[in-house]
Amino acid sequence: MKENISALMDGELEGRAADETFDLLRRDGEAADNWRLYHLMSDAIRGQRRLVSAGFVERVAARLATEPAVLAPGALPGRTPLQRFALAAAASLAAVALVGWLAFAPPPKSQPPLAQAQPPAAGAPLPDAANDYLLAHQGFSPRVSLQGMAPYVRTVAERPDESSK
Amino acid sequence: MIAWRSAALLCMPLLSFVGTVQAQTDALGWLRKMQDATRSLSYSGTFVYQHGGRSETSRITRLASADTERLEVLDGMPRELVRTRDTVRCYLPESHVVKVERRTPDRNFPALLPGELNTLARNYDISLGELRRIGGFECQAVVLAPKDNLRYGYRLYADTGSGMLVRAVTVDAAGNAVEQFTFTQLDIGRVTPDMVKPRHAATGWRVEDAAAAPARLAGWSVNAELPGFHKVVELTRRMGESKPVGQLVFSDGLAAVSVFIEPLAPHREPARTGLASLGAIHIYTREVANHMVTVVGEAPAASVQRIADAVQYRRP
Repeated sequence: MKENISALMDGELEGRAADETFDLLRRDGEAADNWRLYHLMSDAIRGQRRLVSAGFVERVAARLATEPAVLAPGALPGRTPLQRFALAAAASLAAVALVGWLAFAPPPKSQPPLAQAQPPAAGAPLPDAANDYLLAHQGFSPRVSLQGMAPYVRTVAERPDESSK
Repeated sequence: MIAWRSAALLCMPLLSFVGTVQAQTDALGWLRKMQDATRSLSYSGTFVYQHGGRSETSRITRLASADTERLEVLDGMPRELVRTRDTVRCYLPESHVVKVERRTPDRNFPALLPGELNTLARNYDISLGELRRIGGFECQAVVLAPKDNLRYGYRLYADTGSGMLVRAVTVDAAGNAVEQFTFTQLDIGRVTPDMVKPRHAATGWRVEDAAAAPARLAGWSVNAELPGFHKVVELTRRMGESKPVGQLVFSDGLAAVSVFIEPLAPHREPARTGLASLGAIHIYTREVANHMVTVVGEAPAASVQRIADAVQYRRP
């Protein structure tokens, strides 16, 4: 369970495994505690000084529960200044709630370094002897010792008359 | 609270370091397990090779006691390959050609040796991924994340029972899959010698023997090796019905890049140059000193092109 929660934090869980873990976090108080604890640890390790105090989630959730849901607020005509003020206040509370949520969301994974130059576009047709090159090359690919001959399928599959179309 | 924070700050980096080392050891153990399973098990199965929106189905059968393996491509142009300890034969029934590759005297068909597995860790961050069910097999993922953008990353899924590689995904720097191999059906054991025999007698077919022999390609060099890639072989060989072709192979322990050098006829059309791709393979062709240089490798386009651009000839 703990492994799944930490994998989820790192964004490494997908599909059903992720759904199951989210489910667990909803149902199981201990799992949810672990989720919070891991984030606290991760923040501490990353040197984030502004740790959110204990019970923050509960307090925001409680405040939110008492607020009316604001669905697509539009500029309705004939509002009094007081009504406008109330709407703005509701909107800013929603913004605070969003910031609260982001603070608990897993940190974005660091992006892989971008290629220094744009990768060249592979637009040329395969050489006529492509299959000869591929066959000659595969025999030296260490991949073969992990998956047998499977990489040898990497040849041009079209019959000569199909590829010339 | 303060005590807890200090404890977390002090312990966690240490724990996570120990954890990382342990995780990498476990992941290397799984790579070793896949390698052992591929070599020591007899199996027959059907797998799908997917790349660039295409997919091809093939059948693979291995008889471990005879060290013989047979691959039959079921889609597109019929092709059958049979590998024994010393040779790979490729049967092309439509053109009645059999191509033969032999093991060179100084070099076995490549294997990831235990030492080489460890050197993999210089070029890739190796870790265990998730457990996932694929084609009825409970699989452990092993993730190889490249440490630079000169090579692809890999997600390898091994059957937790047998260690067989059930799915292999090659991913680019943006995290997109560039190609994928997946077994859709796999039987372990129950392989008879008949099942690895070539289907074609190949009587009267043209035999194209590569006749590879180790050689020094005088005057030719790759003046800047790609970081992490080392030359593993240098030889001359035949390809198709051509004159002898030089071949240099560079590898980072998992990916390999071949450089082919062949003389061009004096009066001929200009060589077709440029970059082509097929799944994770890139092929780059350029002309150098009246020779055609073709670089073929399972590496990003920029890496293949970098090696090609570094090929030079100096009159010996």
